[in-house]
Amino acid sequence: MNNRSGLPSTLTAIILFLVLAALSILLVVENGVVQRYRILGAVRNMQAWCWTRTSNIAHYFNYRTENERLSAENRQLHERLSRYEAAARQLDSLSVRIEPDFSYIGANVVKNTVDQQHNHLVLDRGREDGVEPGMGVVAPQGVVGIVGAVSSHYAYVFSILGAGQSVSAKLSRSGAFGPMTWPGIEPDRMLLSEIPVHIQDAPGDTVLTSGYSTIYPPDIPLGLVIEAKVSKGSSQELSVQLFEEFRTLHHVYIVKNNHKAEIEALYEQVP
Amino acid sequence: MSRFRNILFFVLVFLLQLIITDYLHLGPWVMVSLLPFLILLIPLQRREHIVLLSAFGLGLLLDLLSGGVLGLNAFAAVMTAGPRKFLYRILVNRDRQDKTEIPLLRDIGWVKYFKYLLSLTAIFLAAYILLDCVSVRPVGFILAKFVASTLVSTALGLLMALSFQNRS
Repeated sequence: MNNRSGLPSTLTAIILFLVLAALSILLVVENGVVQRYRILGAVRNMQAWCWTRTSNIAHYFNYRTENERLSAENRQLHERLSRYEAAARQLDSLSVRIEPDFSYIGANVVKNTVDQQHNHLVLDRGREDGVEPGMGVVAPQGVVGIVGAVSSHYAYVFSILGAGQSVSAKLSRSGAFGPMTWPGIEPDRMLLSEIPVHIQDAPGDTVLTSGYSTIYPPDIPLGLVIEAKVSKGSSQELSVQLFEEFRTLHHVYIVKNNHKAEIEALYEQVP
Repeated sequence: MSRFRNILFFVLVFLLQLIITDYLHLGPWVMVSLLPFLILLIPLQRREHIVLLSAFGLGLLLDLLSGGVLGLNAFAAVMTAGPRKFLYRILVNRDRQDKTEIPLLRDIGWVKYFKYLLSLTAIFLAAYILLDCVSVRPVGFILAKFVASTLVSTALGLLMALSFQNRS
């Protein structure tokens, strides 16, 4: 009797096993960050509250380093501002008005992972602060990632340190550009690929954002080329040491492209 | 252990796993997971489909709360829960089904407990790491991560078993 009832039960278990495994793989493929925010809105807010408090405690003990970093960033921004003001005065005298291409929203990192294959961050700015999915996130020394989902007061960011993420980057001397991806091991190293083999002076060159996407502004310094090797015989793969220290990331800026809607509308017109 | 203490211990281990996921960062080479240990803690007498659904639910809950890729822990947990009873039979008790609900360190001994926990942990991490890294990371990295993670996670599971289960 037991054997008779055991067979259907085993069969049910095998079918259930296969169904659950298939369902899990489907979820992995979908990677539903947005759905997760909808499902767990209240829990996520409570978790973010905890992450904010623990992040504050951690940063309290690093305040001296953080101050030095912010002070250096301030100095760089003042220098850039004075150059732009001089240029703006010249443009004013020619009666030319220029709207800024990008605007920025300051945010603090309340959660950050760097040792997984798909890393992410949580920022303390959300929908009510004007943050929307698809916006870029930058730091003083490089780019950080792309906003994947938002709640009222928090944003979930896909880190550039993740399988499948890439940044369009270029070499400062030659202007050669290609996708920069994370090989998945050290959080301060990335690979810039598809660089033509005739460019021989890449090692030691600075890597910048190319500006060929609507996500990140152009010319943000990302890192330094430390090694070059020929890949598949037709192009070079460059190892890049990032300027930004992802492990101690605290202040970041969410980037809004003021012309994004116009650019996307243009794409839609193309048959 | 009484049923209430079992449930409390189970919840505590799950909370510890959440804390580990959020705050313990040992680098890209090591991933620490107590989910295989939690699957080991599901009573042996439970029916297979209940065990599978419980493992799937646990994995999914961890995925939802940890903010990682949804489905990764759920997949690895289902892969571990599937052959759990079979592994128990061949590694711990070849002759008969054990009368104890949950395999305890003091009941089945160090060697058998270690082999059982190591097997569950290895299956879990093989499934997790393969799904996470395959085709995007080098084989050497995947193997090194698997070995390091299995050793650390098994050691932590044993430590948990030693600290709590042996007191009752």
